[in-house]
Amino acid sequence: MKVSYSWLKEYLPLEMSAGDLAERLPMIGFEVAGQTSRGPGFSGVVAAQILAIAKHPNADRLSLCMVDDGKRKFSVVCGAGNIAVGQKIPLAKIGALLPGGRQITRAKIRGVESEGMICSSEELGLGAQSNGGGILVMDPQTELGLDVSRSLGPVDEILDIEISPNRPDCLSHFGLARELAAYFRLPLIPLAAPELKTPQGSCLPVRVADAQACPRYLGRILTNLKIGPSPGWLALKLEAVGLRPINNLVDITNYILMDIGQPLHAFDLDLLAGTQIAVRFASEGETIKALDNKDYALTPSCLVIADAEKPVAVAGVMGGLESAVTVKTTRAFLESAYFDPIVVRKTSAALRLRSDSSYRFERGADIAMVETASERAAGLILKLCGKDAQASPPLNVGKERAETAPILVTTSRINEILGADFPDEAITSTLRSIDPGLEERAGKTLHFSPPSCRRDLATAWDLSEEIGRLLGYEHIPAKISSVALRPSRAAPGQTIAERCRQRLAALGLCEAYNYDFLSEKLLRMARPDDKNLARIANPLSEDWTTLRPTLLIGLLQNAAANLNRGTKSVRLFELGKTYRKTPSGLEERARAAAILLGPVAPPFWGPQKIRRNDFYDTKGVVLDLLAYIPGLALVPFKACDPLFHPGASLRLSTPKGVLGALGLLHPPIARAWGLERENASIFELDLDLLAELEPARFQFSPYSRHPSAARDLSVVVDKKIPYADVAAVLRGCAIAELKSLELVDLFEGRGVPKGKQSLTLRLTFGRLDRALTDVEVNAAVEKILAALKSELKAVLR
Amino acid sequence: MAKVTRNSWDGAYAKLESALKSAAPTDAKALAGLEKIRLRFLGRKGLLTELLKKLKDLSLEERRELGPKAQALRASLDEKIAARKAALEARADEAALAQTALDLTLPPFPRARGRLHPLTQTMQEMAKIFSLMGFSWADGPLVETEYYNFEALNIPAHHPARDLQDTFYLEDPGLVMRTHTSPVQIRVMESNRPPLRIICPGRVFRNEEVDATHSAVFHQVEGLVVDKNISFADLKGTLDQFLKRLFGPTTRTRFIPSYFPFTEPSAQVDVGCLFCAGSGCGVCKQSGWIEMLGAGVVNPNVFKAVNYDPQAWSGFAFGIGVERVAMLRLGVKDIRSFYENDIRFLNQFYESIV
Repeated sequence: MKVSYSWLKEYLPLEMSAGDLAERLPMIGFEVAGQTSRGPGFSGVVAAQILAIAKHPNADRLSLCMVDDGKRKFSVVCGAGNIAVGQKIPLAKIGALLPGGRQITRAKIRGVESEGMICSSEELGLGAQSNGGGILVMDPQTELGLDVSRSLGPVDEILDIEISPNRPDCLSHFGLARELAAYFRLPLIPLAAPELKTPQGSCLPVRVADAQACPRYLGRILTNLKIGPSPGWLALKLEAVGLRPINNLVDITNYILMDIGQPLHAFDLDLLAGTQIAVRFASEGETIKALDNKDYALTPSCLVIADAEKPVAVAGVMGGLESAVTVKTTRAFLESAYFDPIVVRKTSAALRLRSDSSYRFERGADIAMVETASERAAGLILKLCGKDAQASPPLNVGKERAETAPILVTTSRINEILGADFPDEAITSTLRSIDPGLEERAGKTLHFSPPSCRRDLATAWDLSEEIGRLLGYEHIPAKISSVALRPSRAAPGQTIAERCRQRLAALGLCEAYNYDFLSEKLLRMARPDDKNLARIANPLSEDWTTLRPTLLIGLLQNAAANLNRGTKSVRLFELGKTYRKTPSGLEERARAAAILLGPVAPPFWGPQKIRRNDFYDTKGVVLDLLAYIPGLALVPFKACDPLFHPGASLRLSTPKGVLGALGLLHPPIARAWGLERENASIFELDLDLLAELEPARFQFSPYSRHPSAARDLSVVVDKKIPYADVAAVLRGCAIAELKSLELVDLFEGRGVPKGKQSLTLRLTFGRLDRALTDVEVNAAVEKILAALKSELKAVLR
Repeated sequence: MAKVTRNSWDGAYAKLESALKSAAPTDAKALAGLEKIRLRFLGRKGLLTELLKKLKDLSLEERRELGPKAQALRASLDEKIAARKAALEARADEAALAQTALDLTLPPFPRARGRLHPLTQTMQEMAKIFSLMGFSWADGPLVETEYYNFEALNIPAHHPARDLQDTFYLEDPGLVMRTHTSPVQIRVMESNRPPLRIICPGRVFRNEEVDATHSAVFHQVEGLVVDKNISFADLKGTLDQFLKRLFGPTTRTRFIPSYFPFTEPSAQVDVGCLFCAGSGCGVCKQSGWIEMLGAGVVNPNVFKAVNYDPQAWSGFAFGIGVERVAMLRLGVKDIRSFYENDIRFLNQFYESIV
């Protein structure tokens, strides 16, 4: 909310500068988003001297003045009575801009051309008139030609203050002054009672259909109005707080809003049908064209103000265009009401229409201000909207106050909540600054009745905050709690996630963080047939419509982007949530995924060259990560996930279900992301399942103190026979002395028949109790060779 | 074989002594030559070995006289050979070193640079500090119901406080992307009885335009303490300690009023600017303070939602923005850098930062 410091000071004798106030406001919970100085609201006005005064040929009450700004002379028509030759006066030259957007143009006044205007203090927005409508007479020492606006310097400071939703009472200058009065312990300057002429006529009847939606409604009729531009001071005040002046009547309602926080609305009475105002919910099919010139289809949850025929305003939100006050208006109906916050919020949400008025009503206006606001507005209207303007007596529907239960609290309870030791007197006097009627009863219980503007105060905690805030959080001690010796623990998923992260980083992968949102387009590229996608109803953009069903799409994007920026090696992993719709609702699962391509490390200068990452590197990463999981089986799979290469992918199976997959990137996907030359490999694991798996219990297993015997066997087998079958044959031989099997070479080419390959197996034999003899080792080797031959037709090379 | 006599033995001994003169171990120029000498005298058929063998054919008296003499010779020879061997090896090592001197300044064999994301590192450090203070870790879903994200946290439907958090709604009615980690408070309290001390690091979502300082996806570390007699003073003490651990023991903290529907009283916690030490700079916008986190005493309405008696139990809660802390500490100027996953960015932050 924009707050004019000079306006604020109308209600509070603040001695400090606006800048000092801006530094103090955060200490009671009001953040200041900005502060700007505001010069006078006019330009093109210079100091000039009256050289001669002549009578206007065609008008008795006008004069023709010859004025001089030090450079040239101007002939100006003037209507003021206090002019005299020799006076120095502010001259608004042709092109000058006055408060309220009024521009001075070359004009003939009663047949005589005027080259500008001699201004009053009020016309310059410099405050109320002291000399009864005359021109502003300047200091005789003033230099001719001086730019008046520049010479005045800043006349006001505007603070942009953030008011939290619980403090609608501070959404006005008077309201904020009231709050600051309590904090600074300064006397609040009360609202002056407006001067009202004897009321004339009577008001229209008002029927309120739902007293809960509109607990209070006050109407007043104003007649003999003359609608025109607002005086400078009013226009300037509105401009200062960011509102555009429209006409005197509308400006008065806006002024009251900013002054005391009560929204008002004025209708052109002659444009209302019938003789009764109704406050009711809209019927299906009703529409309204609002002041913003847009049409709105009303729903039965929208509260409206209606005439005999149709809705003429959206209650508490915005008036209708058709009944708006215009320059033609002579009779108006002025509404001041209290609408239920939820009703206004629902209405505003249904229509997607917000206003300064709905902003206040949905946070909670002050029901006690309804009458004050109407009276003050009427007082200003009688003053500013034509000298013959008349006001009717008010017509009041509903209750004048809301009942609030008193809060019963003790000073010790407040100190207990705060952990503070504020003296009783400090607490009671602070509470009394909010509720002057604070009573202390038996047992030191305080009876605090929240004022009608403070709907946020209902409990002992609320009052504790008031005490903490107004006396200062800095006076509450910082306490170190005594510690109970309870061991802390982490959720299982968090332990697993942390372990995976550490391990993958140690294996040379960098951790990525992608958004959880993906575009429909990317998803269609990767998963054309996915029917279980979860979608955002109000996405930020087309790129963010869908929740990711896999982490791999984000990683593919990252890999492509990194390659485009010239990076050669991409080793990225991510841990995050994936989402999918299931018949029983939306399923959210934690996963870990990675993409690896390019050299496994930066280049080396020596003879050992750095490898390019391939399927087997990635398989090694996954098996290292999962080395502690017993019963893990790697099963080739053909179809399932379109991201994985159907001929080069493994599914990771466990006794509790499929843990994930690893493999090469499917060529069409690689092409779609521009990675077709990279031989990229990927994996994705289900971390929620991983957290459920019982880790292996590692037990010491004894090893021999006697020498072992190693034999390298090169056997030639058909290429179609997978290595796992070879290993299975060796296991099948059940030779207890065979301690390990390593594949040390795989070769095809010279010396190996076509369609076959040579595997060099390193077999290590040993016994715990003694060394083996050559004869024993040879016998074991023979047994193995025989089995390989009979089962796989393998021959020794 | 000829019979061994005193004379023949003496003759052989003299021959050996003279042979030793022409082939002394100290004269050996190389390890191979030394080995030859050793074999000549001490090998299986070496001269001294033979001489020692022959002793057994002599009389007891002769053996008593000649045995020690031969043994002494053997000991001295052993010693000389060992000394010479050590000297020759040292000379060989020196020569080899001179031949193969390494350029120690050459780059090492490279290892792939794996790194934890800077936000992970930051969250882990915060979590570790709280762990040491006895906080347990809790977790919750990212897709939340409106009940957990709002209602249970004293943000009823149609309440303007909902405007404080621009929300992503799912197409499925009643579901939102959680706008804060606070719903985890509710989930933990629903399934546990007090006393409680938990934190929850995690991802949150706000439907707001992304720019250098705003991200629609970001991270928080949530905290909650519930016990008997917990007050605003405990909140101040705990967070003051935490911030001193995180930013250094001289860190100043400031607690100023704020508003959150789920805490009452509520506070914003600032730390003295880490860059200008409070004198005012661009980072703290000349205020000397940097806003760090939101906190407050648990609102009794929140306790009511989880069936805790607000008269018996009290607590405090807080939430810290992770990106903000990471940006301040690492000098990252644009929050989007954390989500672009440029390897040149990710590579920079070795775990030593935390």
